[in-house]
Amino acid sequence: MSTQTPRIRLENISKNFGKVQANADINLEIHSGQILALLGENGAGKSTLMSILAGQLQPDSGTIYLDGDPVAFTGTDRAIKSGIGMVYQHFKLVEAMTVAENVFLGIPDTLFIRKKAMNREVRELVEQYGMSVDPDAVVHDLSMGEKQQVEILKLLYRNSSILIFDEPTAVLTPTEAERLFATMQQMIGLGKAVVFISHKLEEVLAVADYIAILKRGRVVDSMPRSAVSGAAELARRMVGRTVLLEVDKEPVELRQTVLKVAQLNGMGLEDVSFELQQGEVLGLVGVAGNGQRALVETICGLRIPEQGAVRILGQDWRKFYSRNNWEQSLSYIPEDRLGLATCRGLDLVDNFLLTTRGGFCRGPWIQRQQAKFKVESLIEKFDIRPPDAHALAWQLSGGNLQKMVLAREFYRRPHLIVAEQPTQGLDIAAAEDVWRLLMHAREQAGVLLVTGDLGEALALSDRIGVMFAGKILGIVDAGDAEQVAKIPEMMAGMSVDI
Amino acid sequence: MNQEMIIPLLAAAIVSGTPILYATLGEMITEKSGVLNLGVEGIMIVGSLAAFLVAKFTGSPVLGFVAAGLAGLCIASLHGVVCLFFQGNQVVSGLALTIFGTGLANYLGTSFVGISAPGFSAVPIPGLAEIPVIGPIFFQHDPLVYVSYLLPVCLWIFFHNTRFGLGMRAVGEYPEAASAAGVNVQNYRWLGILAGGFCIGLGGAYLSLAYTHLWTNSLTGGRGWIAVALVIFAFWRPGRAVFGAYLFGGIMALQLRMQATGTHLPSSLLLMLPYGLTIIVLVLSSLKRERTGAPAALGVNIEPVD
Repeated sequence: MSTQTPRIRLENISKNFGKVQANADINLEIHSGQILALLGENGAGKSTLMSILAGQLQPDSGTIYLDGDPVAFTGTDRAIKSGIGMVYQHFKLVEAMTVAENVFLGIPDTLFIRKKAMNREVRELVEQYGMSVDPDAVVHDLSMGEKQQVEILKLLYRNSSILIFDEPTAVLTPTEAERLFATMQQMIGLGKAVVFISHKLEEVLAVADYIAILKRGRVVDSMPRSAVSGAAELARRMVGRTVLLEVDKEPVELRQTVLKVAQLNGMGLEDVSFELQQGEVLGLVGVAGNGQRALVETICGLRIPEQGAVRILGQDWRKFYSRNNWEQSLSYIPEDRLGLATCRGLDLVDNFLLTTRGGFCRGPWIQRQQAKFKVESLIEKFDIRPPDAHALAWQLSGGNLQKMVLAREFYRRPHLIVAEQPTQGLDIAAAEDVWRLLMHAREQAGVLLVTGDLGEALALSDRIGVMFAGKILGIVDAGDAEQVAKIPEMMAGMSVDI
Repeated sequence: MNQEMIIPLLAAAIVSGTPILYATLGEMITEKSGVLNLGVEGIMIVGSLAAFLVAKFTGSPVLGFVAAGLAGLCIASLHGVVCLFFQGNQVVSGLALTIFGTGLANYLGTSFVGISAPGFSAVPIPGLAEIPVIGPIFFQHDPLVYVSYLLPVCLWIFFHNTRFGLGMRAVGEYPEAASAAGVNVQNYRWLGILAGGFCIGLGGAYLSLAYTHLWTNSLTGGRGWIAVALVIFAFWRPGRAVFGAYLFGGIMALQLRMQATGTHLPSSLLLMLPYGLTIIVLVLSSLKRERTGAPAALGVNIEPVD
């Protein structure tokens, strides 16, 4: 990198949440006049790193240097004073206030606010950067792109010199994204430093000067933009030499077709078709936001398909969901463990009964005592900690809660399992447990494994489908090394002959 | 009804609306910072007793007035400790405060029931008081009424034209955004609770120092609850709170007058009027479908950054 002193230098920054290493020994430099792209999947530790920079989290170890001097950002105000500004993925704007009021919020100034002067100053900034938002408009009425402009205006008004954008294009239309990139270029032209967090390869290649790749909390690779030939190479570096965890993958005899999706269209999906048989794991890999959510929700009955057919266990979805079989049917293991899968304030027995109460009913009565015995035996069998059937869901760590969810779902002896990012945010030991359980479940069920982690998909799947922009670009056999090598390129959206 | 009856009725509406106005504005300050305080009734009655006792033993109603504010602030600080320090449930804490305050004031005040204390009396404002109609209605009252005229204006300016007001509104709407912009959320919530408690206490003082000049048990008589409802009716706007408080003051005054002149209606039905109106007001204001101005984060505790 260049020889000048970096605006910010991170040295061996580490941060743990319980047993999960969110950041491990991170070294990074942020230079003025440069766009640094941080590339990584969900849960790779990007957000944690940025929260540390913004003063919202304190690192467990490591040092931050500002212009060569060590600093500690013990609060957001400290970071703001040092010139660090964040554009959060979820906007931090007060909806009921005007644009100008949001810009002026928290600025130490005179006691009284002069509305006209305030609007004029904001308008000047808007014009200087070629934006389009009206300072007097209420934020509530703005589009997502305009709201983001307000976030940027806040930073510009504070003269922030290090601007961090957390997944800024996720909510933007392509034109709005183009405009954002122009603004970013304008900023580095003025000598500011820009950090651009993304998982979209094309965008990173389009704007970045320097690229760092984050994976499981570590910077696994970093390079100047000029050293990368294209998206394919970047994808390969991102996926890396996957540390393949050895999971016993005994072939299981395939039986009936448990899931058939045909020509699913709309909701961001394009002509999605595939079949899944009992006894196999179909991995669906892809960078998040390429239609996986819509697909999973359609299969699991949370959305009505706009076009196309979904057949579950040999029945049309409409018929399947009108019957209420708690056993030997479909189990959904959602990404959102503490929201969709469980109720945070209920204990394990109640959470267990959420999907299995069909088995513990006598007339209108629920046999709680029997359910409790069952939960206790499951806790022992799955080694869930703390071993207390009356522990509340939120009191469990991510890994133990996930095991509880799996224990509950497997108790239903499902024939179709849809698992969405099942090991996200788990430490390695817990992830291995989850993998083992999924492999075991495969003996009696078809498993649809939706994940952003290619390593996970390779370890577990019999076949792997790649999703990009709402399409399944292809489904390859996990045993075929030649085809598997093409997956990273397909994840980047390149068409590859299979 | 002729003019001779209407003007005194309206003047009486102002007087009986004033304590409600103080309490409503106090609760509004607290809620604007995102904290729901259902302890208004309790804070108000403690303020009322404090005003009475200090005025009685010092002979100074002004000192009594200030003491009521401070007493309100102290009681409200309990709510702050529970909700801001221990992240406790705001509804439960507020209700407990009402029960505690009412009990405390009635207990400490037992031996003073029926005893009078020096208070404020009417001071017509020279010039303004002589204006026909307007003068007798608005400008022939005690000084505390005049103070209450200024309060909503000050509050409006505070919320809309000062950076502290801007910060407080932001904290009530979206604390995370305020925090990200470098605003100290906890400090603003403390400010909202304490300043609100002070105002509510002043409302109590009006009852024992101006409305009556004596102490009786349960002097506030549910006015604190009306204030809570009025904040909603006012859509969290100080100007509308004035209108609401005087509307209720008017109903209370009318009800007294009707009892005095003798009607066929049973008195308990008349006594019910203000509370019946409270329910109607709440129903009507919840009919407004679009934004009512309620702070979006009202009642939501936030974890302090460690």
